[in-house]
Amino acid sequence: MKADPLQEGRYLAIALLGGVALVWSTPLLWMIIAAFRPDSGDALNMAALWPNFRPTLANFRDALQSADFARLYVNTVIVCGGILAVQLVTVTLAGFAFARLKFPGQGVLFYAFLLQLMIVPVVLIVPNLVTITHLGLYDTLPGVMAPYFASAFGTFLMRQCFRTIPRDFEEAALVEGASWGQVIWRVLIPLARPGMVAFAIVSVCAHWNEFLWPLMVISKPSHQTLTVGLASFTQGAEGGSQWGVIAAGTFLVAAPLMIAFALFQRQFVNSFLFSGVK
Amino acid sequence: MIHWKTLAAAGALAFGLGQTAQSAQAATNIELYFPVPVQGKLANKMKSLMEAFNKAHPDIDATAVYTGSYDETNLKTRAAIRAGNPPAAVIMSANFILEYQINNEIQPLDPMIKADGMTDKSFMDQYWQALHGNAEFAGHVWAVPFQNSTPLLYLNVKAFKEAGLNPDNPPQTWAEWADAAKKLTKRDGNSVSQYGLMMPGNYDYLGWIVSALDMSNGGQYYNTDFGGEVYYDQPSMLGAVRFMHNLVFKDKVMPQGVTNAKDVSTSFFAGKAAMVVLSTGALSFVRDNMKDNFRVAFLPGHLRHAVAIGGASLMMPKGLSPAKQEAAWTLIKWLTSPKVAGEWSRFTGYFAPNKGAYDLPEMKDFMAQHPNAQVALKQLAYAHPWFATYNTVAVRKALEDQVQAVLSGNETPEKAVKAAQAKADQLMAPYVAQTALKLPD
Repeated sequence: MKADPLQEGRYLAIALLGGVALVWSTPLLWMIIAAFRPDSGDALNMAALWPNFRPTLANFRDALQSADFARLYVNTVIVCGGILAVQLVTVTLAGFAFARLKFPGQGVLFYAFLLQLMIVPVVLIVPNLVTITHLGLYDTLPGVMAPYFASAFGTFLMRQCFRTIPRDFEEAALVEGASWGQVIWRVLIPLARPGMVAFAIVSVCAHWNEFLWPLMVISKPSHQTLTVGLASFTQGAEGGSQWGVIAAGTFLVAAPLMIAFALFQRQFVNSFLFSGVK
Repeated sequence: MIHWKTLAAAGALAFGLGQTAQSAQAATNIELYFPVPVQGKLANKMKSLMEAFNKAHPDIDATAVYTGSYDETNLKTRAAIRAGNPPAAVIMSANFILEYQINNEIQPLDPMIKADGMTDKSFMDQYWQALHGNAEFAGHVWAVPFQNSTPLLYLNVKAFKEAGLNPDNPPQTWAEWADAAKKLTKRDGNSVSQYGLMMPGNYDYLGWIVSALDMSNGGQYYNTDFGGEVYYDQPSMLGAVRFMHNLVFKDKVMPQGVTNAKDVSTSFFAGKAAMVVLSTGALSFVRDNMKDNFRVAFLPGHLRHAVAIGGASLMMPKGLSPAKQEAAWTLIKWLTSPKVAGEWSRFTGYFAPNKGAYDLPEMKDFMAQHPNAQVALKQLAYAHPWFATYNTVAVRKALEDQVQAVLSGNETPEKAVKAAQAKADQLMAPYVAQTALKLPD
């Protein structure tokens, strides 16, 4: 019997995808293997992907001793959660305004909003820091969060999301005597949930991993976030580095996001599919 | 040498005098920004130093604030100053200090030195001569050296013996250096199993090494008295860049392209590079990771022996309250005192800038046990200040980009130094226009 060309194409696609997946997962694999490898003082084998079969927790002990991880976790969760909570309110309302309300200069204003995406964050460090200082938020967690309370990306995403919802739903609700607030809260938001979840993932990942801005705002060690705390014991320029401890520390920083993704994988993938974010 | 306790007491007294209006009981809160340029539990070490300081000075509450790499520390310090929240003291890359002086953002230290009953000269004489240029210029003392390094030549003893060379007699001149590198290079047909020589080609490191080669070739690299001039398009620099080009393309004893510092140290550990150029600050790291015997030597010279200093100094931004200024000065003096500087040096591998550190018994023991650290210290006699200009980082990169192109085989040394000079001149033009070319009407 002749081989089914469709079937052959399928195998090829799987092989290709497998290859790409391997390339993408290599850093992660290395991190996990290196984190559990005993420190032999052997910088040469640090790049090996072959695990050592006498795994050790010594690297984790060193990493945990090097920084106050409990506090770093709490601070990072407060920052990411606080930013997201405010963002969800602002981007939903702004997205709704751009999607549904008619007002003069709407188009220009929307593109001006999108222009923010083009600005490199580094050039805003000094002006933002001056503003934060005037507000009395220097060296505080709200100071880390404040510049992100409005999000151009989120507004754009929610606008697109609201536009895919047929107007009939809103009109029906209005006919039933609902106010605009009720329309947003009871009709649009439930329908736009996949978009909000997708935005939440992007937002939390971005702020969880952010380094430069928290480094600029925060001075007190007790206000540091995970990335800054990690860098404080792993960075090195003139010498080499202790790879095991770096890997263990990175593992501790990345673990909550990885676990969350593993648990809610299906919901995440679904909301990305619905919202069209890739 | 004045003991640190005396200095601290003087600082505390002066602090007390400046504090008449406020309650004398409350401790002054100050912040020290510190970058992490070496590996290890440096952040923890800094924390324990701060605890010791605060215990000895109940009237001061100092916090060590980790601020990233040298470049990030620079960024954060500048942003904090502009936002009106200057830290009391910063451990700043020594060649960035000039820009703070140009921008008028740094506190000259002379008044405090004078209040301690010292002159600028007697104060700076506590530190190695080579460190003065980056700390004392334009008529004032701006910074106090804290941790310093120079580039060193590291040799694999076994590879030297196998090649019939004597590791006790390391190459002294460029001719001997190139010759040894040829003998140390092992080839299998077209591939090289052991390179004779490797040096880091990544940003920052490369500029530092090229400046050492340029200075060894009689060059000056930059104008030590005016931040608007560099000497890239000069015979001394051209010779240095040609020498690097020859090592890669004529003698083929150094790999082509840009090798970063971590690859250089890893190749040295693996026996894939018989000689490497690395910082004295990497000494502890190499000692911990090198299985074969190794030795360090002066960087070979051509017209003379010369290297540039690297490392960081303590500086104090402008705009601090008198109380904070006094507290910061007390902290700076404590951190740079012989005892603390020596402890930091043994922990990190940097040499201690304060000469007095080497008179202490614990330091004498350490030096006796570590002959390589002695070589690093002796090379200081041949060290020059680190390049510092207006817009230092960009001006440095103008040269580094071109030298990287030469090492990759995309540019000739002649064109490279010309292009680097043109770019650097363009970068410094605004400053030059405001200073050297701003003439009376």
